[in-house]
Order: sequence, then C-alpha cells, then structure tokens
Amino acid sequence: MKKIHGKYLWFILLALVLAGAVLVGGCAEEVVEEEPVDEEPVDEEPVDEEPAEEAVLRVALTTNPNTIEPATGDTRTASNVAWSIFESLVWLNDEGEIVPSLARDWTISEDGTLYTFELREDVYFHNGDKFTAEDVYFTWERGQGSDITYREDFLAVADMNIIDEYTVEVVLDEPNAMLLLQMNEHWGILSKDYHEEVGEDGYMQSPVGTGPFMFVEWRAGDRIELEAFEDYWDDGYPKVDRVVYRPIPESSTRYAALMADEIDIVSGLAPEQAESIMAVEDEEDVKLVSYPHDRVFYITFNNMTTGIGTPIEEQEVRQAMSYAIDYDLIIDRIFDGHAERTAGFVVPGNLGYDPSIEPYPYDPEKALELLAEAGYPDGFSIEMAGPSDTYVNFEDVLQAVAGFWGEVGIEVDLEFMESGRFWDLQASRELPPLFGDSWSSSMGEAYPRLLGSVGGEDASYAAWLDPKLVDMVRQIELTPDDNERAAVYTEILEYMHEDPPFIYLYQPTAFEAINERVQNYNPRVSEQYYLKGVGIE
Amino acid sequence: MLLGVLFLVFFLLHLTGDPVTLMVSRHASPSEIAALRQELGFDRPILVQFWDYLTNALQGDFGHSFRYRQPAMNLVMERIPATIELASVALFMAILMGVTIGILGGSNPNSILDSLARGIGLLGQTIPTFWLGLILIIIFSVNLGWFPTYGRSTFELFGLNIPDKSIVLPAFALSLFTTGQLARFTRSAVLEVMNEEYVTTARSKGLRKIRIYSRYILKNSAIPMISIIGVQFSYLLSGSIYIETIFSWPGLGNLLAEAVSTRDFFLVQATAFFTSFVVIGLQLVTDLIYMLVDPRIRYR
Repeated sequence: MKKIHGKYLWFILLALVLAGAVLVGGCAEEVVEEEPVDEEPVDEEPVDEEPAEEAVLRVALTTNPNTIEPATGDTRTASNVAWSIFESLVWLNDEGEIVPSLARDWTISEDGTLYTFELREDVYFHNGDKFTAEDVYFTWERGQGSDITYREDFLAVADMNIIDEYTVEVVLDEPNAMLLLQMNEHWGILSKDYHEEVGEDGYMQSPVGTGPFMFVEWRAGDRIELEAFEDYWDDGYPKVDRVVYRPIPESSTRYAALMADEIDIVSGLAPEQAESIMAVEDEEDVKLVSYPHDRVFYITFNNMTTGIGTPIEEQEVRQAMSYAIDYDLIIDRIFDGHAERTAGFVVPGNLGYDPSIEPYPYDPEKALELLAEAGYPDGFSIEMAGPSDTYVNFEDVLQAVAGFWGEVGIEVDLEFMESGRFWDLQASRELPPLFGDSWSSSMGEAYPRLLGSVGGEDASYAAWLDPKLVDMVRQIELTPDDNERAAVYTEILEYMHEDPPFIYLYQPTAFEAINERVQNYNPRVSEQYYLKGVGIE
Repeated sequence: MLLGVLFLVFFLLHLTGDPVTLMVSRHASPSEIAALRQELGFDRPILVQFWDYLTNALQGDFGHSFRYRQPAMNLVMERIPATIELASVALFMAILMGVTIGILGGSNPNSILDSLARGIGLLGQTIPTFWLGLILIIIFSVNLGWFPTYGRSTFELFGLNIPDKSIVLPAFALSLFTTGQLARFTRSAVLEVMNEEYVTTARSKGLRKIRIYSRYILKNSAIPMISIIGVQFSYLLSGSIYIETIFSWPGLGNLLAEAVSTRDFFLVQATAFFTSFVVIGLQLVTDLIYMLVDPRIRYR
C-alpha cells in the first residue's frame, strides 16, 4: 500500500511540474506573440482564417435568440437575426413606407377586406426550392398554431385563396389597416416542402428562407453564422460574404469587444460607455450611433380596478400630477441628459406625430391650483407600484416622481416588485391605482402601444378605460389610407394629452456603436436593423 | 436527496407565478392568456403539476423549454462541455497557484512570503469576480491584446474540440476564489504538519528538503486539501453565472441566467437537477479518493 502511495504522490508532483512547464511555455508563447499586437485579435476569429478578401460582418447580440424565425423569435435580437434569413411579402423601408418584397405588387378591394398579391417569379429558397403561392399559404397556416408567439398576426387573416402559382388572395373579416405592417413584422415566408421534409423542430434548428443570407451554423450561446445567398433575387445584395452574430449579454464586454476590434456592430450600450466612445471617436476606428428609442416610459392611472373611487378619476388631478414633475431635472440627473421628453404615446417618427403638442411643463403652482379646483387642496395619499431590476434606472425615476408629488401634497406609497410578479398582477389588473412601466412599438406607428394600453377590456395589460379612446383606437384599424390614419393618430395624441390616462415620462436614448469600416448601417428607432445593404470597407 | 432538490426548485419557481404572461404578446386578450395557461397545464393544482413533472423526470423527460421549444435536458447537455472545460482549467490553475502559495507561506511562517500568501488567500476569496472579470478584459484584452475579450474558440485535436487561449481569462477569474481557499488551507495544513515530530525526525536524519516535503509534509496535508478540491470542483462545475455572462462563455451559468430571467421553468429545473447530480457525484468521488490517499480511511 505504501508503494502505491509513493507513486501516487509522485504522479501528482509530476503533473504539477508538467503543468507548470506548460503554463510557463504558454506564457512565453504569449510574450512572443505580443509583438504583432495588431494581428492578434484577427487570430481570434475563426472566420478570419478564410481568405483575406472575404468581407465578414461581426455583430454582437444582447441576448441569445430563442429561435431565428420571425413568427417565434421572442426578442428584437431574435427577429433581427431572423430577417437576415427570411423575407415577407412586403417590407417597411427606412423611410417608413411599405414597399414590395416577395410580392411584386398588390391590390386592395374597395371595402378593404380582400388583398390580392402578385408574387415574384424569380425567387428561390436557400435549399433550392422555388418560391410559390403554396409557401405563402403554408406560412399562414402554420402561423396560426397555438405555439406560435405572434399567431395573432396570422389569425388576422380569415382565409387565403391560391389563384395560381404566383397569385394569392388574402381574405379578411373586416378591414385591417395594420395588415401589411403585421406581415412585415412576423410573416417570414417558410418553404412548405422543406418543412414537410424536416419538421418544425428541424426547421427551427436549420432554417431556410429566401433572404439575402443563408443559415450556416448555430452554436448555442456562442455564435450564429450566415453566408451570402448566391441566388438571391435582388441583384447586388447582400454586400458582405458572411455574417457572424455573437451573443454578448454584458454591455461592458460588448464595449470591450468593440474597442479591441473583435466586433463590428454593438447595440445596447450604457450611457457611460457611449460617452467614452464619444471621447475616443477621433483617435479610434469606432463611431457612436444614438437615437431616441421608440419606447415610452409612463406611469398609468388605473381606472379599471383599484383606482375606482380615488382622486385619479378626476381629469384635473391627472393634469395636476403631470404639471408637478420636473421631468428635465430627472432626465438630467438620472440619465445625464440621455433621454427625450415625450408629449404622449405618439412619438417623433411615428405616423401622425404632431410637434405642436408639447409635453407638460414643470409648474407646481399650476398643479396646486388644479388640485384645489378638483377639491384636494391638501392633496391625498395613493399607492404606486413599479417593476424592479427591469429597466435602466427606472426605480430612481419613480422615486423622484413620488418626491415631486410629495411637494404638492400627494403622498405616494411606492412598492417595487419582481418583474414577473409585476406583469402577472398587471395582466390580472391587481396593481395599485398608479404604476410605472414602458411600452415600445416597432411598426413605425403607435398602434401596438395604444391598442395594448387603452384598447379596452380585451387588452390584458390595459389599466385605463375610456370608451371614446377605445373607439378612436379601433378607428386606426379601419383607416387604410395613411393620411387619414395620421389624422386619427394626431387626434388621439391631442385627446390623451388633454385628458391624460398616463404620466408621460421619457423616451430613452439608445446607444449603439460600429467600427468605422461598416457602411450603410441604419438602425431604426425600434432597434431593428436589416443587414441586407450593410457593407464593409 | 435529488428528489428534495427537484421538490424545492419546483415549488420555489412556482411561487413566482407562471411564465404564461411572458409568453404571449403584450396586447393579448385575457381569454388568450387563459387559453394558453390551460394548454400548458398551469391552471392545474400545483401538486398535480409536481406529480406530473416528477413521473416524467423519473423516465428521463425533464420537459420542454418554452422559449427554445426543445427538450430542456438537450439544452443543458449542449452547454455542459463548455462548463466542464472552464471548470477543469480553473481548478487546475487554482491547484497550481493555491498549493504553491500555500506551501511557500506555510513553510516560511511569519516571513514576507507568508504575509504575501495570506494576502493572496484573502484577496482571492474576497475580490468580486464580476469586477475582476471586467478589469482582466480591460487590461489583457483591450489594452494588451493578448487574449480575446469574450467567447469560446476552439481548435481540433484528434477529433476533439480543445479550447484555445480564449479560456485563459475566464478560467483565471473563476479560479481565484478557489485559489484563495486552497492557499489558506494548504498553508495551515503545512504549518501544522511541519511541527509534527516525524518531520523533525526526518530533518534530523538529514533528508533532502524535497524528500521531506514530498513524502512527509505534502502527503500528510493532502486530506483536507482533497476535500476542499472536491467541494470547489463541484462548485466550479455548476457553472458560474457571473463569469460566464461577462465573458460570454456558452456554458451552464450563462444558460441558467437566461432561463431564470425568462422564467423558463423546465429549463431552470433541468439545470438545477444536473447541478445537484454533479455535486452529489463528486462528493462520492472525493470520498473514494480519501481512501486511496489515506489507507486508514475505510468505508464499510
């Protein structure tokens, strides 16, 4: 036994020595490699081992996509990857216009319930299948499945008729001005034949679309690789040979990867990281891209359940509470100025936005006056809730707001909840008379935000019920003409400003950064981007 | 024991509600939410849900991840190699650094070396890994360019995917806590053994220093070190949420962080099950190694 011990120990020692040697050797190697520092990061990316002339775009993702298919991908990250692979019948371009994509053209019947799409005849899927009307029908059919995240965008269509190989008729029960936008959002056309061949799971793991890039590999949590589709119908696109998406959940790491030239496009940067990029933009090959994000932070009044019978039912009280907050100070102190004030749920860039409707100014005198008019000269007490650890600095904002209200005599009992519980209670309408949250929109219109927040009893997350508003939101759906619809939006913006169901807080500034070699990268206010036209110098 | 873990994780998760509201779009109607809840079975009594889960788990079915629409255990298995790599390299670094520092400190009590060893031991255990990870990235990746800032890259050797130097920074950051602990334990074990009479005897016989250390001191301080290494390895293997998140290392910790924030219940449960399985298994292995090192220890 003793002998075995000796051997065992010597084995450990030998292993330690060997390990030491390896480590020292490794270090020595590192030092040698230190000389050509510039080439170092290039070595890191396996994709760069390809011939030098290959243009590779390296994009950081803020989260791991659950799928990379438009109807099931549940985050902006997922859909941004998905739209490199898939295409819909129509496309919302950078100017906010609906333009042809897989459909060459379409007509809408007088009553707005029949859409006839003429499909392109020169389109192939990545696996070589020809794109036909059958694939559109199949995509619609599959999209209605109970496990499809955005099935409501497919259920919006009542029926579909295949007229011939390249013509489909889409039948609606009633006019829906949002239909083309819904298609643009979630109708990524799937290949029927390929789906039959590999099944739903197989399709999700190795997706095939008609888009500018074809799927190569997905290593969970590590990378998603796509390459240019040679038979892409839109000549001259895409502009790069390969795209590599890398999930990097931590924003500091994304920032570091950009500075070390290991990545070309990063999004979701924190304001302090944006500031340090601004400081070195002249010396380094990086460029900051910033824009107000199409997301409105607000505090809602709840007149559907817990707020019934409380002062917030009075219009003057809600106006007074809007006047009582020093929004600019909040933006300045809490966000270092990196946020925009907003006058309502229709924000700049949205259809029907009207700059003449201005945000409520900070006017505590006026607030006191209005409170007195409403019969609350000494203020009142009320409860408010907010989600914790969900939005950047949002807890601080709500606390500041409660402080400003305290100054006009409104005592707020503020409670923060774990976000999951918060949203459960929001869906079951059990939150207090006041609660803070945010609502984004990616359609270029405020419709989803309005439908969800003031759309009536059928909107699970709505806390404010005003029959007139419900009708106005309904009017949006029934107005296919853009100009007429814009007028409806403006009317809603004005109405919701005068009789506010919400305290409109701010729109956060989104920060992204790119390597200077990247050309033609235009993220949208919804944080969407399309890589079809993005190139590398 | 595993049953207890399953029970605990299941009920703790269900205390937070259910994932249905996170799965529907935000303008879903109450009836849509109710329909989905019913379809997924979250409207049933919680004990029924647990029984269902348990009977399936015993047959090796740990449920489907809602988000990924794949069997939860498959997702866990996919991430295991990356975590095992990281844990092994981190443990290796920790043993190398921790034991060396501990021996140096313990054999020269109250010297400068000893203070340094104690300092490093303390630092290793108290320094926040999150902060350390970022500092390492800034110094060694951004400024010096020696290592990549994030991710896992591998090269192929005999058909195996071997991680390249991308593993160095995350493994080092991960190893520091264990290094600190090992350094402290080794130091005190060596210190204790140094004063034993058999060591004095060995010295008086004029044995060479290396022989005294290898045959008498190290061997006799091995038992506490092995138990520490066993415990630490199971801790490292369960995946570090912080380190894997900072370095975008595609392992279990990274997966778990995401599963928790998206309330992907079955995925969290599968990860917890696997982790407890590893911890219990490693405990067994540690006990067996005791036997090998110290023949006086016998299990009957």
